[in-house]
Amino acid sequence: MRAYILRRLAQSVLVVWAVTTIMFFMFRVMPADPTAMLLERGLSEQAREKLLQEWGLTGTLWDQYIAYLANILQGDFGNSFLYRKPVWDVLTPLIINTLWIAVPGLLLGAALGAVLGTAVGWARRGGKLERMGIFLATVIRGVPNFVIGIALLTIFSSTLGWFPEFGMGDPGDRTGFARYFTLEFLHHLALPLIAVIIYFMPENLLLMRSGVVENRTEDYIELVRAKGVPQSRVAWHAARNSMLPLITWLFPALAETIAGIVVIEIVFSWPGVGRELVFAVSRQDYPLAQAAFFLLAVMIVLANLAADLVYGKLDPRVVYK
Amino acid sequence: MTQANSTNEPVAIKGRSWLSAVGQSLRLVAGDSFALAGLTILFAFIVIAILAPYISPYEPFKAMMTETGRLNRLSPPTSAHLLGTTSFGNDVLSQFLHGFRIALLVGLVAAVAVGFISTVVGVISGYFGGYVDDILMRITDIALSIPTLPFAIVAVALLGPSVENIILVITILFWRNGARIIRSAVLTERERVYVKWARAAGASHFQIIMRHILPNIVRVIFLWVTMSVAFAVLTEASLSFLGLGDPTVVSWGQMLNTAFSSGNLRTAWWWVIPPSVALVMLVSSLYLIGRAYEEQTNPRLRVRK
Repeated sequence: MRAYILRRLAQSVLVVWAVTTIMFFMFRVMPADPTAMLLERGLSEQAREKLLQEWGLTGTLWDQYIAYLANILQGDFGNSFLYRKPVWDVLTPLIINTLWIAVPGLLLGAALGAVLGTAVGWARRGGKLERMGIFLATVIRGVPNFVIGIALLTIFSSTLGWFPEFGMGDPGDRTGFARYFTLEFLHHLALPLIAVIIYFMPENLLLMRSGVVENRTEDYIELVRAKGVPQSRVAWHAARNSMLPLITWLFPALAETIAGIVVIEIVFSWPGVGRELVFAVSRQDYPLAQAAFFLLAVMIVLANLAADLVYGKLDPRVVYK
Repeated sequence: MTQANSTNEPVAIKGRSWLSAVGQSLRLVAGDSFALAGLTILFAFIVIAILAPYISPYEPFKAMMTETGRLNRLSPPTSAHLLGTTSFGNDVLSQFLHGFRIALLVGLVAAVAVGFISTVVGVISGYFGGYVDDILMRITDIALSIPTLPFAIVAVALLGPSVENIILVITILFWRNGARIIRSAVLTERERVYVKWARAAGASHFQIIMRHILPNIVRVIFLWVTMSVAFAVLTEASLSFLGLGDPTVVSWGQMLNTAFSSGNLRTAWWWVIPPSVALVMLVSSLYLIGRAYEEQTNPRLRVRK
């Protein structure tokens, strides 16, 4: 077990290194002027030279790569061109904002999907409920997330006026975590959160449904049925055993949510990491874009690692090698 | 290989015909009414995409003028403009029809490229195993930890937003999952008795892959290509919606981006609804085809009769 964890950790470090290398080539080799990546235009020649030295942009590509790795190892991604402060100062508050819609959205979407998936999986095979359930889930899964966002925004805020159209609300003089516990914040949170739930629910539903269908013909279900417990209790037995793939799916899904939530953040003007990435890219604020990308990639690596470790804990059949 | 030669070949080497494998796949899909509906919609969309330049009433980027010589902005549907006009005075119907072309062009070309790379990597990795498998799978692991949409955003912004670059980026992103899936299908196929027989009868690796492995995993490849079309369409639409689409062509995501950023979402329903509905129809049809296929090929999900 310990050997497995160590091996998986080493593997994760390797993957992070590879992703940083890919990033180096993407940001530094692809733009026509490689120094454009880290240096603002319109600097005086002297300031430019100084920054080039500081950033190790003077030597060969290999020297640059070493300097780049050294900077990243120290967590130094440089300063944002636009905000004129270290990129981490810009990104840290945004991470929390992104997590605010990603984590509850994913969990609620998974829970709702699990309940509905059990219902559809337990329905009569080939019956109306099963067919409609699958059809609707598949169609909703095909709705792009910005279309979900646009629909929610047009119906519930522009037309009905129930929810605000954009942003997170005015924090007023509240600082720190206090600003997240106001009715105003929750009011702003509602629509983007619903958008994430709708986006993730169908995939959960279908996954859960397949699990329940596969489990419902197993012998242990016959046994529970024979004991004479009510139908809903029997379904619960099948549901519990179908949750395993759902739980392993949740971690990578969280990472993908954080990455894919970009579009929802844009539609609802929610100040998160993804939205900042899009802005940074379009304003050519390369240090900021690079750090945001790195952050999202590391989250995926950690989520995959967590999924592998948790799966072994939950499923006694898994043997670590 | 000549005809005479192939008739003298031992039966064990001959394997399965491609035609029957593909035919079986299509029959599986046609047996499911939802998937059949999906196929019909897909076919209709392809026809519209081909005909788009001939049936659209105006040039997609042409500014329409009113009789008094002013820009015909945000006109609701009229007989001259069946789906109204945009805030720049473009005919929505013409833009919408041209959108079919980009969606399907990106979707189909990227999916074929994804299918090809996934198959090559998956088959080599699964069939040969050992070092080759180790190296290819480590590369796949790394590729899998690249965040999809952020990578697409950064790469398209750096390479420049053009249809070719969008297709390239989508291909780079989606071969990785396919390679994994196809590899595991090859792993089970490789251990089958008929493969061992063919080997014993003197078939080369190439013959085994082409005649025994590939025809039997056609269904897995088919499923992945179908899903890839959907992912490609969605990725292109998302990129265009974020303003990173090819500015020289019209796509549905870009239409929605223009409507959104010009603040006309609520009022100009004629501009927003057609591209949204078309995107949902296209992607859902592909998912319906893929799902039916998955259901039919997984024995544990099949309805027991």
